[in-house]
Parts: sequence; C-alpha cells; structure tokens
Amino acid sequence: MPTKMIEIQHLKKEFNGTEVLKDISEEVDKGQVICVIGPSGAGKSTFLRCLNVLEKPTSGKVLFEGKDLTDISDKELDELREKMGMVFQGFNLFPNMTVIDNIKIAPIKVKGISDEEATKTAKELLTKVGLADKADVFPDSLSGGQKQRVAIARSLAMDPEVMLFDEPTSALDPEMVDEVLNVMQGLADSGMTMVVVTHEMGFAKEVADQIWFMADGYIQETGAPDEFFSHPTSDRAKEFLKKVLK
Amino acid sequence: MKHFKPLLMLIILCVSLVVAPLNAFAAATSSSSSASADSTNSAAADDSVQRIKQKGTLVVGTSADYPPYEFTTKKNGKTEYVGFEMDVAKQFAKDLGVKLVIKNMDFDSLLVALESHKVDTVIAGMNITPERQKSVDFSKPYYMGSKFFLINKADKSKFTSTKDFAGKKVGAQNGAMEYNLVKENIPNVQEKGLAKIPSLVLALQSHKVDGVLMDKATAKAYANNNSNLMAFDSHIKIQSGGIAMAFPKGDTSLEAAANQTVAKINKEDLINKQWIPQASKYMKSYKKANTVASYWTFFAKGVEYTLIITVISVIFGFLLGTIFALMRLSQSKFLHGIAICYIEFIRGTPMLVQIMFVYFGIGAIIQSMPALVAGIIAVSVNSGAYVAEVIRSGIQSLPVGQTEAARSLGMTKKQTFRFIVLPQALRNIWPALGNEFITLLKDSSLVSTIGVGELMYQTQLVQADTYKGVLPLFITMMIYFILTFTLTRILNYFEGRMKHAH
Repeated sequence: MPTKMIEIQHLKKEFNGTEVLKDISEEVDKGQVICVIGPSGAGKSTFLRCLNVLEKPTSGKVLFEGKDLTDISDKELDELREKMGMVFQGFNLFPNMTVIDNIKIAPIKVKGISDEEATKTAKELLTKVGLADKADVFPDSLSGGQKQRVAIARSLAMDPEVMLFDEPTSALDPEMVDEVLNVMQGLADSGMTMVVVTHEMGFAKEVADQIWFMADGYIQETGAPDEFFSHPTSDRAKEFLKKVLK
Repeated sequence: MKHFKPLLMLIILCVSLVVAPLNAFAAATSSSSSASADSTNSAAADDSVQRIKQKGTLVVGTSADYPPYEFTTKKNGKTEYVGFEMDVAKQFAKDLGVKLVIKNMDFDSLLVALESHKVDTVIAGMNITPERQKSVDFSKPYYMGSKFFLINKADKSKFTSTKDFAGKKVGAQNGAMEYNLVKENIPNVQEKGLAKIPSLVLALQSHKVDGVLMDKATAKAYANNNSNLMAFDSHIKIQSGGIAMAFPKGDTSLEAAANQTVAKINKEDLINKQWIPQASKYMKSYKKANTVASYWTFFAKGVEYTLIITVISVIFGFLLGTIFALMRLSQSKFLHGIAICYIEFIRGTPMLVQIMFVYFGIGAIIQSMPALVAGIIAVSVNSGAYVAEVIRSGIQSLPVGQTEAARSLGMTKKQTFRFIVLPQALRNIWPALGNEFITLLKDSSLVSTIGVGELMYQTQLVQADTYKGVLPLFITMMIYFILTFTLTRILNYFEGRMKHAH
C-alpha cells in the first residue's frame, strides 16, 4: 500500500474571472515520478505552482502529508515548503551570490545549520550535479544547463520530500538539455518523489511512473507511459501526440 | 503581513503628529482670544511669572544681527550674545531671579515663536505697532531709535534724503517696521525684503538695492565698520511707540514685571549711559580681529552639526523609506493608503515649510523639543518619502522569480526580503539613493531658519560678525562641496564593491 504524499481535491484556479484550472483531483504517491504534459496554455505550470501554493487556489484543497496547504498559517506553510523543492524554467538563481552561497543560504537561514555543515553538503551536491569546480563563481558566468543544475542542487540542499519541476529544460539550448535530464533521471532513480511539467516526451516516456495529460484546464487522462503513448484514449491526447510525435 | 504589525504604532504616531497640532492651534486661538478679553478686565490673574520662576529660566527670542542692539561676539571661540538689548534681557532675568537663555532666530520667525511659546519674550529691537499689538502685548518702551539709510559711499551725491529714493530699490528686514516705512514714505519705491540685515547689506554692496533703511545705531555700526558704506538720517517720522519687549497675549504678570525693569532702566538712563557705549566697544575691539579666517571654529562647529543632522537623518530616512516602501507594496489597502498619503504629501510640500511646521507647530505641544531635534525629524521625514519611492522602484525592478525561488526554499516573507530582495534592490538603487543622500546633506542647510547651529547658520553669524558677506558664503560653498564630494567618493566605493560581487 503506497503512502499518499500529495492529494489534490477539486482544485480550481481563476485569474481575473478566467478559469485556468477547472476541477482537478489527483494523488501523488511517495517515490512516484509524475510527468505532466499537454499543449501550451493548458494550465500545467499554474497547476504545479498550486501544489506549493506559490499560486493560491481559488477553491479546492491541496493536501501534503495530510495537511491542507490552502488552509494553514503562513508559518506552517513556510515549514512545509521546506519539504517541497521547486525548480523553475528560468532558474531564478540569486545573481548577487556565488554558486555555493546560492546553495547554502536556505539551509543556514531557514534550518539554522552551521556554515561548515552547509558548505560540506553544498559541495557534495555540486559534485552530484557535476559542478564541483564552479562553487565560487557567480551564476552569470554559467551556461543555462549549469545554472539549472545549480538550481537543482539548491533545492536538494533543503533535503526535500518532493521535487517540483516547472519546465526545467524549456529555456535551454538543445545541447544542454541532456545534462539536466541526466541529473533528474539520477534523482528519480534514487527514489525521489517528483512532479515534472515537461515537453521532453523522451524523458517522460523513460522516467515517469505515470503521465498526467492536461488540456483546457482539466487533467484529461492519466496512465503509465507505455500505455499512454501507444493507446491514448481521449481525443485531445490523440491530437496532441499526433503533433509532438511525428 | 505579520511584520507590518509593529508599524501600526508608527502610523498612529504619524497621524497624531498631523492631527494634534491642528487641535493645538485651535486651542491656542481660542485661549488667546479669551485671554485678551481677560486682560482688559483684570490685569493680574495669570501665572506667567510663577511659571518662569518655576522653570528657572527666562527664554528670550532675538535676532542677533543688529548691532548695537544685539549681535554676536566670540569669546574663547564661543558665541556670545551682546548689545544693549541683551543687557536689558540680563537685567530683566536678574530682576526675576532666573537664568537667561537666548534663542537666536530670523526676525520674522520671532512672533511665531512667541505665540507658540517657544520663547517667553522677544527682545529684538521690536517697535510697538498697532498691527503687532493685535497678536502680542508689549511692555513700556525703553528706547526710541530714528531710522537711517545705509548706502554705498560711491552714491553719496546721488542719495542725500529720503525723496531721492523715489522709484529706486530700497531694502529692509522682513517683518520689521522699516519695511512698511519704506513702502509708506517713498513714492514708487521697489521695496526688497530679506530675513537678515547682513544679507541686506550684501545686497547693497552688490548694488541689488540702492539703500537699506534700518535703525540709526545699526546703520552707524555698519558705516563705521565698512569704509565703502555710509549712513544718513532718513528723517522719516515714526508712528510707533518705541522699542519694547513683546509678550504673548495674556501674560500680564510677566508684562508687569517687565515694566518695572523698564522703569528702572529708563530712570537711570542705563541704555544711553552704559550699555550702548559698552556695545560699541565690543564692535570696535573686534573690528581688528574680525578676519573671516579667525572664525574657523564657527565653521568647524557648523560642519559638526551639519554632519550630525545628515548622518542621523540618512539613517532614519532610510528606515522610514524602507517601512513606507513596504507599506506601499503591501496587500493591505489601509497600509498602502497611508503610505501613498505620506509620500504624496511630503513630496508635495516644501521642506522649508515642513521644518517650520515641525518646530513651531508640533513644538507647540512638545515644548521641550530642541530645534536640533525638530530639524532632524523634519529632514528625516522628508527624506523618508523620497527614499520610499526609490526603494519601491528597486523592489519592483526585481524579477518575481527571485521571491518565488526564495519562498519555495522555505524562506519566510521576512527572510526573503532581508536576504534576497533587499540586497539586490539596494544594489540596483544605489546611485539613486546616493543622490538622495547628497541632496539631504545640502538641504540640511534649511534648518538654519529655526536656529540650528549648522553650517549655514554659522555662516550667517560670521557674516554678521565680520560685516563681510561674500567671503563666508564662498568658504561655506567650498565646505559643502568638499563634504558632498567626499560622500560621493564613499558611495562610489560601495557601488564598486557591490558590482564586484556579481
């Protein structure tokens, strides 16, 4: 019996009267890798950002380890966010800090870990993402792929229970996509729970335990990758796959 | 939201600062009108003498730029107020058995200071006029001065009597009776009013005006001390009742005490026999030593106060600015509204007015507030409004992803602001912020109007003392430039360091 990590119940989100997410109910189990795919404008990013309440849902619930994130104090929310790492399309590294300081700041300031220990962890993580030699440079001198690997290391430094990826490779030059995907694959192999919004169908097919197909503000269809990619059931999914898998 | 809560106190304070003086003004007007009604009925029955004896000091307001009435001299590097009216003040304090405190300010601020009880009495060569009697009471007069014209010696043949000034430019001190005399007695005159006598003399020397009407004794003092100037009797008939001490309406017992002192002075003719000769001795003894350079202690003192005001105001201005920038960006409509009001109002009113309002308006409630504190409050509050806008622009210029990344790492709003947003915003706005601080340093010169001894104020003292106008100004200009230039270097140094860390 797998343990539920995230439970989404009747999630709705409106922006100025426009419904972006219409009624979503899904579950993420511990250790599961979910890839959310679908056409642009389907609401994938908004959905992901609702999971750690960077966007506050208009209605519905997001339960994380049994607690409803939409109905708790700011303090509790901050504490739970520590356990939900997030990687952005635009990296969002802190440009005024060195790579290693980017990784160290949250553990030191939020968790109160000593500088020494944080440095040690940060170096291990940099080695893990293959950037041990870049500890003391500023983000501006890194390539896109390197920046995104640092961003992943920064999230991992908080030792999260789940990692949310918001189109992590969409802003990268094609030759840099693989270095990031490899890191993510390694993470999935190590048992990390992951929710990944992506356009990389190859990665989704290979790594995901489950595909969630989103269009028009709904999750239209879910299923194991093999099944989904070979036998999509909904018309929207068939149409989408025809376009992306020429 | 949470970290905005302590602000509430501050907001309440701000609101009360704005509202309270209005009440005080209302109270002051009603009490003064009732007091004047009282004084016509019964002469005594007020506690003004008792009040002064209780606090042990008599605070006398004056404008010490008017030799031989009152002017400054330096003794062991310290400013001392001398002149025959200062002897009157000393005598009055002695008769009351209290200590004398002199407050030096612009002549046209004196009556406001009196009405707002910043000073107990005004002794400043002030003539009794019906207009003034509407707002203050006077003692019996102790001196009658005729009015003289001060002119450039080169114009000696052009101007020999009052009628020669018809259609010309004539200067007089703002708020002084000479100003009205000029208007009333010279046809088609173009009158020019300035706050300080030395400024008028400067205007005369640079031919901005053709003559300056002032008291006989003062005019002669200038003529004696400056060989390019000369003075002659205007023969203008004066309607006034002579020179006397001024009191707030209703301080009848203090007025009565003053009349006793005046009666004694008049009886022994102390002013003409002793005090004027003494005052002119001060003026002469000092003419020899009054090179501008020998006043370096004045400038040093001025720089000290200017720096004190600047440093404290920069700190508080920055804090206020940060707080109001956050309030303006807050989700709460209430906090947002307050911040908008503060920023718009402060930016929309002149700093000079704000300084005077804090000193005379709010100072009317908090009597013990020194001019320095009032000045610092006004400058800080003013700077805060500008800094708030600079900081807001800095915060808004940051990509929202920076905040989102920090929040997704579990940082609280506060931590995000403190460690992520502020350092980056600060780097972006540093040049604009530096600009604001340099402006603040220069604008601190405005607090000289309420008598804070900063650089500009000291400059005016030196001008009055040395009878020289341009040189002290030039020195002061140089000092300001050196200060701002140094500040710029320091700011650039930090800017360079922040750029490096990128």
